[in-house]
Amino acid sequence: MILRTIIISIVLIFTSIKSNAQNYELGKVTIEQLQEKVNPKDTTAPAAILFKKAKTFFTYDIKSGFTASHVYEYKIKIYKKEGLSWADQKVRFYIGYENIKEDYLEFSNAITYNLENGKIVKTKLDGQGTFKNNVNKYWKEKAITLPNVKAGSVIEFKYILKSENLVKFPDFKCQYEIPVNYFEYKTEIPEFYIYKPILIGGLPLELDSKLVNGSQSYDNEHHQMETFRYQQINAFYSGKDIPALTNEPYVNNVENYKGSIKHELERVRMPEKPVKDYSLTWEGVATTIFKDEDFGKELNERNFLLEDLKSLLSNVEDKDEKINIIFKFVQNKMNWNDENGYYTDKGVIKAYKDQTGNVAEINFILINMLRFAGINANPVLVSTIENGIPVYPTRTGFNYVIAAIEKDGKQILLDASHKFTSPDILPLNVLNWKGRLIKSDGISEEINLEPKTPSREISNLVVKMDSQGKIEGKVRIQKTDYDAYRFRIENANKNQEDYLEKLEQNLGDLKILNYIVENKKTNLANPVMETFAFETENQSEIIGNKIFVNPMLFFARTKNPFNQDKRQMPVYFGYPTQEKFNLNLEIPEGYTVESLPTPLKIASEDKKIVYLFNISYEGNKVQIISLTEINDSYFSADQYNGLKEIFQKIIVSQSQKIVLKKV
Amino acid sequence: MKKPCCALLFLLFTLVSSAQKGIYPISAIKDSLKENANAIVRLDQMDIRIASQRSMNIKTQRVVSVFNEKGLSDIDAYQHYDKTTTIKSIEAIVYDSFGNEIKKIKRKDFRDESAVSGSTLFSDNRIVYLDYTPVSYPFTIVYNSETETSNTAFIPQWYFLGGYNLSVEKCVLNVNFPADLGFKKKEFQFSVFNIKKTVDTDTKLSYDAVNILAQKSEDYSPSSRDLFPRVMMGLEKFHLEGVDGTATTWEAFGKWYGDKILTGTTILPEETKVKIKALVGDEKDPVKKAKIIYDYVQKKSRYVNIAIGIGGWKPMLSSDVDRLGYGDCKALSNYTKALLQVVDVPSYNTILYGDRYKSNIQSDFVSMQGNHMILAVPNGDDYIWLECTSQDDPFGYQGTFTDDRDVLVVKPEGGVIVRTKVYEDKGNTQTDKGSYSIDENGNFSGHISIISEGSQYSSKSRNEILQPTEKETHYKEYLSNINNLKLGKITFANDKQNIRFTEDVQVSAMNYGTISANKMIFLVNAFNQSKSNVKRIRNRKNPFQIQRGYLDTDEIEISLPVGFSIEFLPSNFELKGKFGEYKTEIIKNENNKLTYKRSMFLNKGKYSNKEYDEYRLFMEQISRNDNAKIILTRN
Repeated sequence: MILRTIIISIVLIFTSIKSNAQNYELGKVTIEQLQEKVNPKDTTAPAAILFKKAKTFFTYDIKSGFTASHVYEYKIKIYKKEGLSWADQKVRFYIGYENIKEDYLEFSNAITYNLENGKIVKTKLDGQGTFKNNVNKYWKEKAITLPNVKAGSVIEFKYILKSENLVKFPDFKCQYEIPVNYFEYKTEIPEFYIYKPILIGGLPLELDSKLVNGSQSYDNEHHQMETFRYQQINAFYSGKDIPALTNEPYVNNVENYKGSIKHELERVRMPEKPVKDYSLTWEGVATTIFKDEDFGKELNERNFLLEDLKSLLSNVEDKDEKINIIFKFVQNKMNWNDENGYYTDKGVIKAYKDQTGNVAEINFILINMLRFAGINANPVLVSTIENGIPVYPTRTGFNYVIAAIEKDGKQILLDASHKFTSPDILPLNVLNWKGRLIKSDGISEEINLEPKTPSREISNLVVKMDSQGKIEGKVRIQKTDYDAYRFRIENANKNQEDYLEKLEQNLGDLKILNYIVENKKTNLANPVMETFAFETENQSEIIGNKIFVNPMLFFARTKNPFNQDKRQMPVYFGYPTQEKFNLNLEIPEGYTVESLPTPLKIASEDKKIVYLFNISYEGNKVQIISLTEINDSYFSADQYNGLKEIFQKIIVSQSQKIVLKKV
Repeated sequence: MKKPCCALLFLLFTLVSSAQKGIYPISAIKDSLKENANAIVRLDQMDIRIASQRSMNIKTQRVVSVFNEKGLSDIDAYQHYDKTTTIKSIEAIVYDSFGNEIKKIKRKDFRDESAVSGSTLFSDNRIVYLDYTPVSYPFTIVYNSETETSNTAFIPQWYFLGGYNLSVEKCVLNVNFPADLGFKKKEFQFSVFNIKKTVDTDTKLSYDAVNILAQKSEDYSPSSRDLFPRVMMGLEKFHLEGVDGTATTWEAFGKWYGDKILTGTTILPEETKVKIKALVGDEKDPVKKAKIIYDYVQKKSRYVNIAIGIGGWKPMLSSDVDRLGYGDCKALSNYTKALLQVVDVPSYNTILYGDRYKSNIQSDFVSMQGNHMILAVPNGDDYIWLECTSQDDPFGYQGTFTDDRDVLVVKPEGGVIVRTKVYEDKGNTQTDKGSYSIDENGNFSGHISIISEGSQYSSKSRNEILQPTEKETHYKEYLSNINNLKLGKITFANDKQNIRFTEDVQVSAMNYGTISANKMIFLVNAFNQSKSNVKRIRNRKNPFQIQRGYLDTDEIEISLPVGFSIEFLPSNFELKGKFGEYKTEIIKNENNKLTYKRSMFLNKGKYSNKEYDEYRLFMEQISRNDNAKIILTRN
């Protein structure tokens, strides 16, 4: 029974591909395609990719060896004016190699089809619509803009990218902001190169691969034609009706979810040469990186640090104190040049002298200095949020490096390249998935980068209200961990007056007096403390002989951050949080409490979200406590509605009023 | 034996000299200049030497002390170049706060990149810029560059103060020019700032300014162009990429532009001419003809920004636009003109500044100005203005990008300065009609019809082209005072004939009314909360302005839940003042219904810094009243 279904499905696939095959060719367009007004699967789509076809194959010549060619063919239907931008195509290609030739890119076969008076009219792209651009010393760009494109047009074009860089193929993207009706990707890879294909996005996809004979003819050194034969793996990926995916709020990186096929070199096994491993497991990746001169060797350079270290640590015995002193020293001395990377560029010695460097240089200086002081520090390879989540062990899966020191069996993570970080507080874009710690012998282990301790914001208020509804009081706001870090990166370098004007506005136009902030730029491991007095008339309303008061004052949550009807991607918060609010309100003389909002306690089933609101009064004092906990950094797309509901309940709860009446 | 000796001597010499006096030490800066400043320009000197009509050399020397990260953008160590402008030299030296040299940056260490920005497909303009990572603050950068160009049509405008939170210790401009080229200048906002003119002869002009204090940016301020001192300069006899030009009067300048740059660009293939004539048919009225052709261009073409040649001043050939179906503002305006010619409707290229912030072509200063082109079709004594880059704008509609400003209309007989259409405040309307009901659980359901006209049409009509998710985001933001909003059916009617855009939106929401004990409280004005956020500014210095006024009127019918009676209704409210008028009214109807009427009229205008707080209070009262709530009690 099972066997039969399998066979049937294979036959079906085979025939369906075969019968459609002629539709997926450049140079042909049907009247139906041109007449189509909307995409049948997504009627709102401004354009759709009718098909995208790509092929990767290898060519050989005696001088440079194998070169990879990647050929892409697109046919795109423009439904609406908003889709016209698809007629402008820009592709960048790399030219910044040290040892190999620049990549080469060429557009061709660019045509626009229109229906005019029932007839298909073809307009070809000419030189006027083709542009070449030297972007900078690493990249060039070619651009085309197709002629005569309007709503209704079908456009097609092709480009070839040739590259001697065989370590990684360009990602084959199969999901876009517009629907893709059909895609296919063919690879023909000689047996000498073993690549691991990686599929991202979990889209349904057909795959077929087989071993065939391949050959290359080339001119040898005596200008004679020679042919060599080998086996090659031909793989064929295809899929259809891929829905559009557009960005949503609270998403770490939409590229983590968009469908694509990646290839990264694992191994090269040339005839009569030893097999060369590139990456296979995360250990393999770590070892390869570790063996590179710009990594391993740079981690052994330490003599240049001797003098500074001596003067830093004279009379310091305590290990923790040593760590703190060294970390602060490197963080203050070194300045990040905005370059990521896990390899050094100019090297730690030069970077130290210049006081500037990339992430690797700065954090290697930190590691070397810590090691020199007898502390067991190690590098941790990281992928930043922009770099995405590596789905399979690859070297390009990482793009950043931080440091770790072991303390009481736990790893404390350090990044000295940024200014407001502290032990275990890393730049926000580093809080991505998992890192890889490499020890000095090259052995590696996995490190979880998601913060586990919640960052807290605790507000304490003591306020007094007069019979006009005016509220005066004092606040103390304490922010810990990432809440403090975020405050510092946003505000530490801001002019205080500007900050206060913004704060006054954010807190419902109140008036702030005697503002004091502690630990804004110093004591980075400690919480940020803001204290100020305030006056406001906006948090209460006198209606008749009653006063209606917002119990949470200007801290009330009034807008639901989750208001989408449909959610496609998981919700990302970055780190767990806890928000606590404590208010002590003295009501005006001559008034008494008529009614109070109802206390509330809600929690999601798994306790990942907890909300608590409590209110009580005694005499002329009303006491309010609220607590909101988000105990995870991630929520899956199907948890979205639950999230939305809980926040809605929180808002309803916080919008209830305290009603005071005249005695 | 000789060499080390020399080196030693040299070393001694430099040591001595730096010990005596560092280069621009931070300690030498006056305290008053440090206030509110992220960076301080120690010296900003430009020496412009115009050798002839076809040769201009510019030397820039800029010394900037940077106090923090935000001041980095004030270093301005960059230089554009292209086919006609070459960079002869560019270098920078970094000094620490004591004035000791830290680093020398040579031309090869500057970055050299294409100056293509996001919306531009291609440009042959390139940029060389300094990318320096500071090692500590404050530090000082001395930047020097020299460029040479044959284009004398654009003499850079000189700003004595380059931006906010930046102060200037010394600023010098020297211009040398031959007496016979008709050099001219126009000075702006000199009175408030202490700018000295040191030389003003028929071959030389020099200015000098010292100690300009840092300014803070304030909301609703005029553009810094209209606040800070600057000088515009130009030549009556200039050169632009191979073409000599004259600009003594607008008439002459317009004629030159028409004859030398535009001539020959409007030739169309015969086939197209035939097609256009057939399209227009027997229509005789020139305005109706223009309308047919504008519609044709909108359907046929799209906007693509390609900046090549003549500083981007020569339009692409109309025959190319005809074949390719795209072009930039000049190409598409000129193409429309060519098509209009075919059916004997005259029209004129019009040069202006396209921006939401209204800025004029300086009518008393004849020179190359502007950044945009539209088309003027004469209509009696007036003009109809066509924005040819838009595929959606109604015929003759100017919206907020080209309205109410002085522009240069290039007629065959010469150029003239004309004011574009002014959208009167009372005509910029939004008329809301709708209703909502609230049930006994506080749940809300209703619909609203929003009609926008005048300048309000331009922002609202964009909603029509939003993608579904963008649409959802837009309305949830627009009606963000209704929490938990669910959007129902949304329909649009875009009446381009009368320039009127109608949105019809159905909405519902749970828990709109807050229930506390036996009371229900809800916001009356559900659909049109005043959104302007006028923040408190301590010691405002700048005047402020409202560029466009508007008139919103709302009439909403409210159905109250059964089983409740009204405990409190907000009283009617009226506010009148120099900024505008605001009025709300609630009328009790039969069968548990209310009618809420609201009107809000805002004047455009220019006001002094002193009046800002008054304006803030005016808007605050409105926003407070927009927040009025109804209280119901359960029976």
